[in-house]
Amino acid sequence: MTFAPFDIARSGLDAQSMRMRVIANNLANVNTTGFKRERAEFETLGYQIVTAPGATSSGDNRYATGLNLGTGVRVMGTGRTMNAGALQITENPLDMAIEGDGFFQIARSDGSSAYTRAGNFHLSADGQIVTTEGLPLQPAIQVPEGAQGLTIGTDGTVTAVVAGAAEPTELGKIEIARFANSAGLQALGNNLYGATSASGTAQVGAPGAEGRGAIRQSALEGSNVNIVQELVDMIETQRAYEVNSKMISSTDEMLRNAAQIL
Amino acid sequence: MDRLIHTALASLRGAMARQTVTANNLANVATPGFRAEIASAQAMWINGPGYTSRASASLGVVGADMHAGTINETARDLDIAIVGDALLAVQDAEGGEAYTRRGDLQIAESGLLTTGDGHPVLGEQGPITLPPADRMRIDSDGSIWVVPRGGDPETPQRVDRLKLASAAGSTIRKGVDTLFHVPDDGALPADPDARVSTGHLEQSNVNATQALVAMIEASRSYETQMRLVSTAQTLDQAGADLMRLPE
Repeated sequence: MTFAPFDIARSGLDAQSMRMRVIANNLANVNTTGFKRERAEFETLGYQIVTAPGATSSGDNRYATGLNLGTGVRVMGTGRTMNAGALQITENPLDMAIEGDGFFQIARSDGSSAYTRAGNFHLSADGQIVTTEGLPLQPAIQVPEGAQGLTIGTDGTVTAVVAGAAEPTELGKIEIARFANSAGLQALGNNLYGATSASGTAQVGAPGAEGRGAIRQSALEGSNVNIVQELVDMIETQRAYEVNSKMISSTDEMLRNAAQIL
Repeated sequence: MDRLIHTALASLRGAMARQTVTANNLANVATPGFRAEIASAQAMWINGPGYTSRASASLGVVGADMHAGTINETARDLDIAIVGDALLAVQDAEGGEAYTRRGDLQIAESGLLTTGDGHPVLGEQGPITLPPADRMRIDSDGSIWVVPRGGDPETPQRVDRLKLASAAGSTIRKGVDTLFHVPDDGALPADPDARVSTGHLEQSNVNATQALVAMIEASRSYETQMRLVSTAQTLDQAGADLMRLPE
């Protein structure tokens, strides 16, 4: 025994709880470096044609209007808002923020590349610049032991005064990846994103050129989650959930009525 | 058997269909650019020998509520809200022209500009494909400007203009693909005065309060019709009792 309003309202409940999940994740990451907020994208489900407009009703008569019944809604995906988070100035020379478009390139343990906006880098035991999880920055930059005054230029040039030398030496250049459609990147967790066919391939190059953002040393990009916006969305979602559950109880009442009277 | 029961049954079916339409509107209370559907019943006179005394109700979706939904700021470059009552032209599944109010645009892998539910957006010369670009923006008149890759940021190039159409004076119908169509594969003329507001998104225009009232109404009407069915049953029983021979 199926009654359409139940299933439609259930699809609404499912979609709203999915949206709540996206909001909860945004709020949980309100302090995550380089986090980009996501939003649930809704789409109507297919329609069921009960009576087509213009169909013959009897003899030469035709229905003036059709009866097309919708079957509900679903969340078809999550879209990412790529606008920049606020920059926070830190004292750490290995903290970097990208001012503008682009991602740091990270080598994953399986050899593939991943991309991140989180610029809180560290030095590994053997002097390599790595992320908090220990994944090396690409191209790899080795900082010799005892190097002083590590400086990262806006164009990504890393220089330091190596022990025993008077002049700073260039240790390498940080490159930045850009995507035709950065909203199409796949979130991999741990602040990392992976390239997909929707994002296009990474165009890697020097920071500050060809539309890539410049690097700012000793700064971190905060999360771009706006708490007020999320709270408003949360209330909206809660109310939408409520009206859909009302629909279930109302339809239930109709059927209970039928069962009692007959 | 009395025909009352059939008239009541048609209304019962109608009330359930109406509840389905309301359920769908409520489920889409957060779908961008969604237009609420209006269900309405009309009398179907049954012509036979004798009186035309009965009309059963036939429910149909007469159209969509075209009031504008609330416009929210999203700060996303590809979100557009259409100011006024113009419509955005898109391509439907059959390749024809259809219209929508949904403005959460996306760029597909090939550079094709689509709406959030995957319909290619039409410009002055058909579907819009964006070249690889460093920057893009949509003007308030719907013109799309890009800075080509490696190009001078000061001199953006115009790619195309979104086709914004005005439905004033024309008949449009909401199809089962949730897009608006002009009957018989027609097209609406482009409206040069239509404006969009970038970084904003129009929400669903479903009025939750109104939908809840419609829901209670459908529920009560179902109850009333059910009483009629039960009355018909009683009448029938009374008739049968009269005919019974005394024991």
